[in-house]
Amino acid sequence: MSLSFAPATTSKMLRSIVPKCQQQAAAAARQCTSSRRFLSTATAQTQSSCRPTTTSPRCLRSSPASTYNNNATQQQQQRRYKHKTVEEAKSRYRTGPFSWKAGALFVLTGGGLVWYFEFEKQRMQRKRVAEATKGVGRPKVGGEFELTDQNGKPFGSADLKGRYSLVYFGFTHCPDICPEELDKMAQMFDLVEAERPGTLVPVFVTCDPQRDDPATLKTYLSEFHPSFVGLTGTYEQIKDVCKAYRVYFSTPRDAKPGVDYLVDHSIYFYLMDPEGDFVEALGRQHSPRRRPSLLLWTVVDV
Amino acid sequence: MGIFDYFSSSAESKRAEEVRKGAVAPDRSERKRCWEARDKFYGCLDKHNVIDSLNGDGKKTAERECAAENKQFEQDCAAAWVTYFKKFRVADYQKKKTFERLEKEGANKM
Repeated sequence: MSLSFAPATTSKMLRSIVPKCQQQAAAAARQCTSSRRFLSTATAQTQSSCRPTTTSPRCLRSSPASTYNNNATQQQQQRRYKHKTVEEAKSRYRTGPFSWKAGALFVLTGGGLVWYFEFEKQRMQRKRVAEATKGVGRPKVGGEFELTDQNGKPFGSADLKGRYSLVYFGFTHCPDICPEELDKMAQMFDLVEAERPGTLVPVFVTCDPQRDDPATLKTYLSEFHPSFVGLTGTYEQIKDVCKAYRVYFSTPRDAKPGVDYLVDHSIYFYLMDPEGDFVEALGRQHSPRRRPSLLLWTVVDV
Repeated sequence: MGIFDYFSSSAESKRAEEVRKGAVAPDRSERKRCWEARDKFYGCLDKHNVIDSLNGDGKKTAERECAAENKQFEQDCAAAWVTYFKKFRVADYQKKKTFERLEKEGANKM
């Protein structure tokens, strides 16, 4: 008891003498070398100057080795992660695989996909409408024909293949409706042409082949639109075309030259698809505003 | 005046004559002129409450009151067109009447 007590008091006295750094050193020494006699250590320490704690005691001998080990693991980590600093590695760990680039790419791709999906959805819907008209129970309108165009060249149904065509029947002596309708046809054609050039052919077929020869058609149609195709032929040819398109017309078969007459006829625009099949009949019941959109719906989705 | 004018005016009148007979189809300006003459004639008929200017009392009134307009109408339009427009006026009136009657009867508009 007394033995153990004595060093405690001396150590108190010593502590008052020695500088603080040595006190720390002593404390460290006391912790590791508990088996040693306290006094001797204390004197040894008072003799020595204030040295850094890492080098003096034997118990800290292992420290250089541990430093080496740390270095080795760091090198290993560097090899594994290729990060220059720990901070970089840490920040990389915190944010995960996401960066602003990845985020932007994600948003762009997502937005693009949504847009494309919506676009396709609408297109399919319109296609379905068009197919419904085309499908079962479709009116059998249109067919093969062989006529002459306004330049006197042969023009047949084969020349219309591959493009939509807007077919109108009329005659040049038409008093009021045909000229109005042909003006509208020119407007509709311009609209489609602005949207999709070269997809639509405007065709005018005369119901009055006796008076409407190619030259007459040419002068007549040039007033409406230079792109109009005017078709004429013999009475029989015209009769066949009108029958194929279910067009009613009242041209007298053998009208005498010089006798004026008018022709009563159906006033529909027939929209035919690139295969020559009937798509839609645009009549006066469709308002001029609605007609172009109907046309565009079908024609533009090619 | 002069020989040049004479030729050009004769060419014009020849063309107008052809249009009237229906030998050539009228062009855009000729159609416009015809429609203007038609509207003037229609206006005169409206003033005198005439619908049918081809038959009955309407014909008499039209001949009496709208002779000048009728002459201009026949001058500017093809003969077939004049008849057509006169008939069309009647048909159009009847169509309007029918629609009005149907609407009164409560028909649904399609």
